[in-house]
Parts: sequence; structure tokens; C-alpha cells
Amino acid sequence: MTERKDRISDIIFHIVFVVFCFSTLLPFVLTLIVSISDEMSIIKNGYQLIPDKLTLDAYGILLSGDNVFNAYKISIIVTISGTLLALLVSSMLAYAISVEKVKYRNVIALFMFFTMLFGAGLVPWYIVMTQFLHLKNSIFALILPMLVSPYNVFLIRNYFKSLPKEMVESAEIEGATPLGTLVRVIIPLSAPIIATVSLFISLGYWNDWNLSLWLIDKRELYPIQFMLYKINSLINYMKSQGSKNAYGGLSIPKESVQYATVMITIGPIILMYPFIQKYFVKGIMIGAVKG
Amino acid sequence: MPEQEVALKANRNAVYRKRSGFVNEIWKNKLYYLIALPGILYFVIFAYLPMPGIIIAFKDYNYLDGIFGSKWIGFKNFEFFFKSEYAWKTTFNTLFINGNYIVFGTVTAILFSLMLNEIRQVVFKKLYQNLMFLPYFISTVVVAQFVYIILSDEYGLLNIFLKAFGLNAVQWYQNASYWVPILVIINIWKTTGYSVIIYLATIAGIDEGMYEAAYLDGATRFQKIWYITLPCLIPTVIILTLLAIGRVFYGDFGTIYPLIGENGQLFATTEVIDTYVFRAVSRMNELCMPAAVGLYQSICGFILVLGSNLLVKRINNERSLF
Repeated sequence: MTERKDRISDIIFHIVFVVFCFSTLLPFVLTLIVSISDEMSIIKNGYQLIPDKLTLDAYGILLSGDNVFNAYKISIIVTISGTLLALLVSSMLAYAISVEKVKYRNVIALFMFFTMLFGAGLVPWYIVMTQFLHLKNSIFALILPMLVSPYNVFLIRNYFKSLPKEMVESAEIEGATPLGTLVRVIIPLSAPIIATVSLFISLGYWNDWNLSLWLIDKRELYPIQFMLYKINSLINYMKSQGSKNAYGGLSIPKESVQYATVMITIGPIILMYPFIQKYFVKGIMIGAVKG
Repeated sequence: MPEQEVALKANRNAVYRKRSGFVNEIWKNKLYYLIALPGILYFVIFAYLPMPGIIIAFKDYNYLDGIFGSKWIGFKNFEFFFKSEYAWKTTFNTLFINGNYIVFGTVTAILFSLMLNEIRQVVFKKLYQNLMFLPYFISTVVVAQFVYIILSDEYGLLNIFLKAFGLNAVQWYQNASYWVPILVIINIWKTTGYSVIIYLATIAGIDEGMYEAAYLDGATRFQKIWYITLPCLIPTVIILTLLAIGRVFYGDFGTIYPLIGENGQLFATTEVIDTYVFRAVSRMNELCMPAAVGLYQSICGFILVLGSNLLVKRINNERSLF
């Protein structure tokens, strides 16, 4: 009796997940299809899963200029250098406050933690960024403001603290400096947490468009997410102005281009997803269990 | 005599040690403090340096006079904000939307993790988990475009469906009342995968022995869930919820702004504190009111974050942030 009830609930659970996963994937698939749909068939039938005609025109238009390639270049530079720099600074800080003989380590930790509780707000931040640091329209504006997260530093510090103390002590006895110990002993032993944290930092840099919104107005410096936002905003504006416009009287396939932009932006993520998702999952689980 | 001398010397040494204790410590561990310095500098520059800027909230700031030259007007900015309808509207929207996120997001995540835990075929379990997790990796500007593909007035999938069934198309982007549910659905779409992973990790930590004992006692699947799995999940749920409540004054700018943009028809239910501040700074180019609003948000946020973290600490000491 219970087995039959169990089997029914099994089926129900499967159905729930199939429906949920289907609706999760639907936007992706639809975006892909619309991006290669012919504009006329969109206007006639709306966004369809099976369009009348297929075309790569939208991609042709998008990839013909410099904008997309430039934006990718910026995103890649920012993500890679940002992640490396963030890892370096964060692990140095984490190590310094993980060693017991550093008397002020808890003061520093509190100093850092307080910023998670209280912030000055956007206006003072913006004024410091633009008027004191002159960070507007600079590639550093995309890297530095996001560099160190207190949460990550605490995660790394806790991992460092869990390493066997004999390792640290033997390195110190051999006369290694803290930096040397960190680089040669601690970090190699901390591969799991370093891998996890760097993945999350990279994702943060890659998906960020907030910094560009506040601090960048030069098109050469737009990262890819912000470029997506700008292109699609422009297209929406053009649509509200009527169809013939600044493109020298030609009308571009406004609908499909919007989605081609999306495909170009999320393409790499989707391609890399099967390979990297398990590291994210592992990282979250470590965080969840250890708190 | 010798004892008094020893005592005097000890006293003097103690004072000597106390006076230069700070410098002593820094010097002793200088290399450690040195490698901590870049990180510390980051917080000084990006978190603490802006703090004096808070006084802009109390001044009639203009660019020419700068922060210190502008006139002091006390609480006038706050008065203006709180007297206007914006204070109540944006606060309510921020809290209401975030509150809905917490309630619906948590319920969905709990249900899904309980169900996913019951799926025995590992292949499907992994497949569902991975598919649910995918939206977490998508940036919010892409999400806005995904929403548009479904809800667009003319070509959107939903309206095409409605028309195919003979119903009228709905102008989703012109009616503010649809948008809190829409935002909640988006939030569920984006965050369930992540939350389920956390809850599954917690469930995996539950002692097998309890389930065996329950089986021997003749418990059904649902009884096992209700009496074992769910109670073991509750601590994690409470902690995550408390932490989320701590953030409840900070609106979901990343999701909302790309979606709503300048569409004034939707402001009534979707204008949160953060979007209001952004609009004030970028469109109207004034800084004093948004500074006041930002300060108001930071203070409310501070009280809540501190309060909720203290509560978390009382429940489970290791789980709290400090």
C-alpha cells in the first residue's frame, strides 16, 4: 500500500521538476530561436518556437562593428585581472588575520566586518569615486570597487585556520616570511577554497554592470553585460521613435538583434556551465555545512 | 628594600610595555601587517572614506561649494523626503517585495529540496539540480530580456498563447499591479537552484540512523519527511531567513532597474529605495535628497542586520558571521 502511494508521489515529484526545469530552459531556447528568426515572421507571428524562416542577419549586424569584440575584450581583461588581484589581496588579508600571534587580528576583522553592517550610501560613494579617486571612465573603475569582499575574506581565513598548525610552524622555523609561507605552503594546501572563491569572484566580475552604470560613459570601456544593456536600450528607444531612423534610413531587424545580443552575452556561460557548475556546487556546500 | 626595587622595576617595565605596546606589536609582526595592508586600504578607501560624505544629507550641496562649503540645512532634506509620498511608497515597496522574496523563495526552496531529496535515480536528481541552478549564472540585464521575450505586448510568448486560446492579450508592461508577482516569480526562477543546493547539503548531513529507526517503526515517506527531515532543516532555514531579513531594506536594484527602466506606469509597485536614489542622482542631478535617503536606508539596514545577526548568534554560534 505504502509502495503504491510512494510511487505516485515519485511521479508527482518528477512531474514538478520536469515542469520547473522546462520553464527554466524556455527563455534560453526561445531566445536562441528568436535570435535566428526572420524579422518578418516575428512581426507576423510573434516570438515562436518554430519560426517561418531562419536567418543569421542579426548576428551579422552585431558582429560587423567593433562594439561586441571590444566589450568582450574589456570583460575578459577585467574578469581575469580582477579575480587574480582580488585573490591576492583577499588571501593576504585572510592569512594575516588567521595567525594567532598577530595581536590585532580581531580588530582588523571587526574593521572589515563593520562594513557589512553599515555603509555610507551611494551618494558619498559616488562622490569619492568621481571627485577624489577620479575613477570615472577608467578600467580600474571596473576592477577596484569590487575587489575585496569581507565574506570571502572570512571564508578564506576560516579555511586557513583549519589547516594543521605544524605546516605553518615548520615553514616559519625555516625562516620563511609570512608572504613566502602564504604563497609556498598555505595556498597550495588551500586549493579547494581558493578555487571556490575565485569562481564566485569571476562570476561577479563577469556579470557586473552596476559599476559601468555609475562610472563609465565611454563606449570603448563598456564590458559585455553593459553593452548588452546599452544596445537593447537603444533598440527599444528606436522602436518607440518609429522604424526608419539613424541607421541611414535602413531598418535593422530590431527584434532578433535584441536576442542575438543576449545569445552573444550568455554564450560562453552556457558553454562552460557543464564543466564549472560542479565546482560552484561544491563551494556552496562547503559554505553551507561549515556556515 | 630589594623587594621594593624589584616591584618598582616591574611597575616601570609594565608601564614601558604598555606605552609602546602598539608600536611593539606592529614592529614585531610587521610583515603580517604589511601583507594585510592592501586589503585594509581597500576598506579604508572604498568603505570608510565615503562615510564623512554622509554630511551631504544635512547640507544643501552643490558642486561649486563642495561638501564643506555648502550650506547646512539640518534635517530639511529628510523632512522633504518624509513629507513627500515617496518615503512611504519606496519604503513599502522595498520591504514588500523583499518580504515576498523571502516568504515565497524559502517555501519553494524547502519544498523543492524535500522533493529532490526523495528522487532516487541519481541521474535525474543531478539533472534537475543542474538545470535549476543555471539561472543563477545569468546576469540581471539578460534576465530583463528574458522577461521581455515572455511578456512583450506584441510578440511575447504569453500573449501569443493567450491570443491562440482566444483570450485578449494583456499589456503587462503597462499595469503596475502585475509586477510584484512577476518579480517574485523571477526571483524564484533565479535563486531556487542555489537555495536547494544549500538545503540539500543540510539534509545530507542528517543522521541515517533516524530514518532507519523510523522505517522500523513503519513510518511512511511523508511521516519521515515531516518528523525528521523538516525539523532538521528548520535551523538552516531560520538562519538564512534572518540573514535575509537583515538585508530587507536594500532593494533588488539589479533585477528591477533593467526591467522597469523609465517606465513610469510601473513605478507605483516597483519603485524601491535604491531605484529612487539612482534616478534622483542620474536624472535630476541633485545629490542632497538621495544622500539623505541613502543614509536613512543605511541606518535602518544597520539596525536590522545587527539585530538579525545577534539573533542568529543566539541560535547557533558558529553560523553567525562573527
